[in-house]
Amino acid sequence: MAPAEPNSGGAGATKDQASVKVPSKDPKKKDEKKDEDLSEEDLALKQQLELYVERVQDSDPGLQKVALESMRQEIRTSTSSMTSVPKPLKFLRPHYGTLQAHYEKMAESDLKKLLADILSVLALTMSPEGERASLKYRLLGSDGDIGSWGHEYVRNLAGEISQEYAKRQSEEAPIDDLMELVVQIVAFHMKHNAEPEAVDLLMEVEDLDLLVEHVDSANYKRTCLYLTSSAKYLPGPDDMLVLDIAHTIYMKFEEYPRALQIALYLDNMQYVKQLFTTCNDIQKKRQFCFILARQGITFELDEEMCAEDEERESLQEIINNTKLSEGYLTLARDIEVMEPKSPEDIYKAHLIDGRGSGGGTVDSARQNLAATFVNAFVNAGFGQDKLMTVPSEASSGSSSTSWLFKNKEHGKASAAASLGMILLWDVDSGLAQLDKYFHSTDTHVISGALLGVGIVNCGVKNDCDPALALLAEYVDKEDSSIRIGAIMGLGLAYAGSQNEQIRSKLMPLLGDGKSSLDVIAFTAISLGLVYVGSCNEEVAQAIIFALMDRSEAELGEPLTRFLSLGLGLLYLGKQESVEATAEVSKTFNEKIRKHCDMTLLSCAYAGTGNVLKVQHFLGQCAQHLEKGETFQGPAVLGIAMVAMAEELGLDMAIRSLEHLLQYGEQNIRKAVPLALGLLCISNPKVNVMDTLSRLSHDADTEVAMAAIISLGLIGAGTNNARIAGMLRNLSSYYYKDASLLFCVRIAQGLVHLGKGLMTLSPYHSERFLMSPTALAGLVTLLHACLDMKAIILGKYHYVLYFLVLAMQPRMLLTVDENLKPLSVPVRVGQAVDVVGQAGRPKTITGFQTHSTPVLLSAGDRAELATEKYIPLSPILEGFVILKENPDYREDN
Amino acid sequence: MLTVSVKWQKELFSNVEIDTSQTPYVFKCQLYDLTGVPPERQKIMVKGGLLKDDADWSTVGVKQGQKLMMMGTADEIVKAPEKGPLFAEDLPEEELVVNVGHSAGLINLGNTCYMNSTIQCLHLVPELKSALIKYPPPVRSNAVDQSSHLLAVTTRDLFNELDRNVKPVAPMRFLSALRSKYPQFAQLQNGLYMQQDAEECWSQLLFTLSSCLKSSGSSEDAAADTVKRLFGIDLVSRVHCAESGEESTESESVYSLKCHISQEVNHLHEGLRHGLKSELEKASPSLGRSAIYVKDSRINDLPRYLTIQFVRFFWKRETNQKAKILRKVNYPLELDVLDFCSDDLRKRLEVPRRILRDEEGKKFGLKTKQNNSASTDIDVKMSDAEGPSNVTGNSSESAAGEEKEKHLTGIYDLVAVLTHKGRSADSGHYVAWVKQENGKWIQFDDDNPILQREEDITKLSGGGDWHMAYICMYKARDVSI
Repeated sequence: MAPAEPNSGGAGATKDQASVKVPSKDPKKKDEKKDEDLSEEDLALKQQLELYVERVQDSDPGLQKVALESMRQEIRTSTSSMTSVPKPLKFLRPHYGTLQAHYEKMAESDLKKLLADILSVLALTMSPEGERASLKYRLLGSDGDIGSWGHEYVRNLAGEISQEYAKRQSEEAPIDDLMELVVQIVAFHMKHNAEPEAVDLLMEVEDLDLLVEHVDSANYKRTCLYLTSSAKYLPGPDDMLVLDIAHTIYMKFEEYPRALQIALYLDNMQYVKQLFTTCNDIQKKRQFCFILARQGITFELDEEMCAEDEERESLQEIINNTKLSEGYLTLARDIEVMEPKSPEDIYKAHLIDGRGSGGGTVDSARQNLAATFVNAFVNAGFGQDKLMTVPSEASSGSSSTSWLFKNKEHGKASAAASLGMILLWDVDSGLAQLDKYFHSTDTHVISGALLGVGIVNCGVKNDCDPALALLAEYVDKEDSSIRIGAIMGLGLAYAGSQNEQIRSKLMPLLGDGKSSLDVIAFTAISLGLVYVGSCNEEVAQAIIFALMDRSEAELGEPLTRFLSLGLGLLYLGKQESVEATAEVSKTFNEKIRKHCDMTLLSCAYAGTGNVLKVQHFLGQCAQHLEKGETFQGPAVLGIAMVAMAEELGLDMAIRSLEHLLQYGEQNIRKAVPLALGLLCISNPKVNVMDTLSRLSHDADTEVAMAAIISLGLIGAGTNNARIAGMLRNLSSYYYKDASLLFCVRIAQGLVHLGKGLMTLSPYHSERFLMSPTALAGLVTLLHACLDMKAIILGKYHYVLYFLVLAMQPRMLLTVDENLKPLSVPVRVGQAVDVVGQAGRPKTITGFQTHSTPVLLSAGDRAELATEKYIPLSPILEGFVILKENPDYREDN
Repeated sequence: MLTVSVKWQKELFSNVEIDTSQTPYVFKCQLYDLTGVPPERQKIMVKGGLLKDDADWSTVGVKQGQKLMMMGTADEIVKAPEKGPLFAEDLPEEELVVNVGHSAGLINLGNTCYMNSTIQCLHLVPELKSALIKYPPPVRSNAVDQSSHLLAVTTRDLFNELDRNVKPVAPMRFLSALRSKYPQFAQLQNGLYMQQDAEECWSQLLFTLSSCLKSSGSSEDAAADTVKRLFGIDLVSRVHCAESGEESTESESVYSLKCHISQEVNHLHEGLRHGLKSELEKASPSLGRSAIYVKDSRINDLPRYLTIQFVRFFWKRETNQKAKILRKVNYPLELDVLDFCSDDLRKRLEVPRRILRDEEGKKFGLKTKQNNSASTDIDVKMSDAEGPSNVTGNSSESAAGEEKEKHLTGIYDLVAVLTHKGRSADSGHYVAWVKQENGKWIQFDDDNPILQREEDITKLSGGGDWHMAYICMYKARDVSI
């Protein structure tokens, strides 16, 4: 389990050497030969030891005692050093059998125990594998200080204990004597910088609670780091247990931000509350609020957690993310990217030689729609752009209006909603600017305005609940496009909030026979988003009934899959809790049954890294299908959703997907690029980039489209020049194919998402925490991409706005205690995995020093380059409050 | 009486009083004074929805000191423009052609790429199109047989169709007309139509059109032979016998110049020189036996469109097929044929060439101040842009208006390349590369038009297994005097 065993190198070699030599030659002969090579000193030692062995067998107890004690003395002095072969052990080897035999003959006495101790040490090198003689004699021995025999002895003993423990567990034998030893060993390890060994042993004997007593302020950090990172590889429910211990330790040492992280990982709101009640420092509480806000969960502070009204209000504001827009704009101003960009700035058509876009004089509605999205993605959150927002002094015939109406029919909905994206997180001005669309006579414009309200409010909460107040009444309107706009808007604005009012508003729609299929599909998704990962029974029931009510023909529609996805989102990351619902899904019409099953399973195990589930999905992909079955798409996405949890599994999944690409059929191949896109979201790994680039020229259009969108996803918000170049070439390659060109444009917009200041990755806080709403948004889009033609290239292109759930600035913004931006020097570099390493290893490599605010790329970690301030969060991501260091002295 | 604060956009109005005995409409009027937003445009968020004008304050549940949020602007309401924009997706196909910037491709009807590429090259010539539009004339002479007539008519229809469509066109009727006129194109092999030589198709088609269009016009006027005026090259040849010292002059008219390819030929110029010089054996009247005569041809009159055929194919007896010479022969984008002209023609070209040089020099001189490198390129394009309009005017005018007419200069610009890929004339693939009026090159690979770069056009010169030029068509650069 321990990835690195820094102390084991020399000791292990010693042991090997010793055990290799044994069978090679007759010991007697070897000894004789050896005698000649030995130095005088060694020879003397050897003879001395032989004498002791003889004396031990003497009948006189006094003599025995002296001999044993001298022998012990010799062994101890030699094993205390780990660098050389313990000579006494070597010289005593031939006498192990003699001593063993003598021990059996001895009567019970202290001397016998003394001999047992020595035998226990000798067994370290002598006893054959599996006999656990060392442990046996230890238990028979005198219970002396375990560390006095040296580190290697303890390690060996720990290994034997875990074996013995497993054996006794199966025999249901008592383990009390073992546990006594365990306590000693743990104490020894914890004192001697061997936390991983201690943790491993305790995990083996299933008693991690012991750890809490033994950690101290010097080693708790490393212990917890080891605990949290090993949790990823443990099967449930052990992982929860391990994290629980880590939480306890963090709480004990008042490392509150880390404790909060674990509480969030465990999704344990009780712990979060406890944290607020325990901690009394307002600044720290503010920092907690920033962490909660980044995770994107809804959390209400009450008087118990913060007694003072004004303070509580200010804290609640932070949780509600009201500072996000401000912070993001601070970053943008600092990096000097406030200047709005037009789609042409992104396309960079002048760099494509020879082949222009054909130089048409007439606008293409498809391309204008693409430009709308590109404009929205690129200028997201900046509050200004070149198409939709107008300077207030502009006269009539304003460009906003004209651009809006340069989109056709449903395109206008996306165009109106794009204003919401541009004003993302800035609720006050966003609502004001969207207001004008509410009075339009065009249903698509109204629909877009409603969606825009949802987008503006995405991830930001407001006590006045403007989104609910504005959207609620439109849910029951006649026109289905208006209804969808309102429903989707509610889903985006209240994702993860588990808001009762939304539920009572939306649930009736599912059962309403008059609602059209698309309204029902979007309702299911919105409910899934609002109740993401809640396992809410009532919502699940409602969606299940809606699914059962569908006619045979409707079940074949691509949109119907949103129903099963909505159901799946309810169980996002909740593992076994899905089982009852999965059982019910087996009774569905066979057209949707397997599809629903895969969707549920993939959602439930999303972000768990569960290898068995990955194998299950791979097994599903190996089947050859009758025509018309669609479940392999969600199965391929499922591989990515499960495996994205940690780096190792992620790399393995990428390799497995490569195989699927070679052997899979079309319906699998078209899902593979999307799965790759999810695995490397906003993290352009070169190998994946190459694979996708190859697939973007695939003969199958759907594979090519998926690959192009995925190129956008892996490069999302990175401004990656290589991907941008690839997409530019693709835009000239596909200049004639409107659908593919549309995909290329969307991907170009994504690469420059927020002008490169954003990320779509649902993982944050050093890739430890995953925001469920962000993942839900991504998964919804990917499911929509499984049938590109019917949804994104059809009239439901606004599903692209589901990405807003995952959009977050990839920044480090340091603020002072009054929450005003504070520029300090920081080192930013590639994060290094320091789990289980001794000492104080460097945590970043290849760093550069910047002053905050700075951008953090995937896999980057930041650390303060000054001692002047102390960060209130150990993880330098997002908003971090800095406190002045009282011990800091300006050195000249 | 309650006091609340109202948040509107970024502003906060604190201490707004609500008279709970009045309707919320009154409150909205209060806000109208503060914000200038008319009450009917105001949206005030309260718990559970928007504040209705006629709601009862007691049921709304507003508390003392509560913060309310108001949404609404006094901005102009968004109105749809009266005339909606026009989208490419809605356009009828004919208009889309203008938008796309090139005409349609031709569907391959089974080894008909030789024909498709020929059509695409000839389709480029606007004069031919306008001449065909007038065909057939009201009074038809009987000089043309039925099948030729049909071929001319179908050619006209096909050209029209190409101009009207964006989607690929299937040239069914043209193909059957071609096959009925020239049965050799209907040869079968293993039950399939065979691949044919594009050059053969090209020359036969031109021949037919020539005879049709000639007979259509007033037959006594030689200038009315449109095809000859457009493509015909007059050659004067001096036939000289070294042995006897005999010398005679012949004159002939051809539709294309041949570029012979031999070991020494690396460039179009050399190939043309070879092609114009030939040896022939014929009976010498003075020697009384057959002797070797050297035929040295010179161009006596230039066409508007100069066709050059690379003689890449030769009959290989052992394999029984037309084998191909893969040798790389470079050709320029701009061709000057002065070297091949007769003295007579040179004299005629002198004035127009000087004028052209002056014009270009002037342009160049102006351009040097701004941009040195791009200027020549622009010149070519500009003269191109003038080209079509003048030339079309030309063809409609009679030969009488000689003074105003454009004069040829002997300088030509490449406008179309017909390439072949493969090892023999009857196999492989023919493709047309055509320069559009907007200056862009399009590769017409049957039904698939692909945009190409100009520098890639000169790379079709052979020397590998890539497409290589088989027929080049140059367009005259002319000056008005």
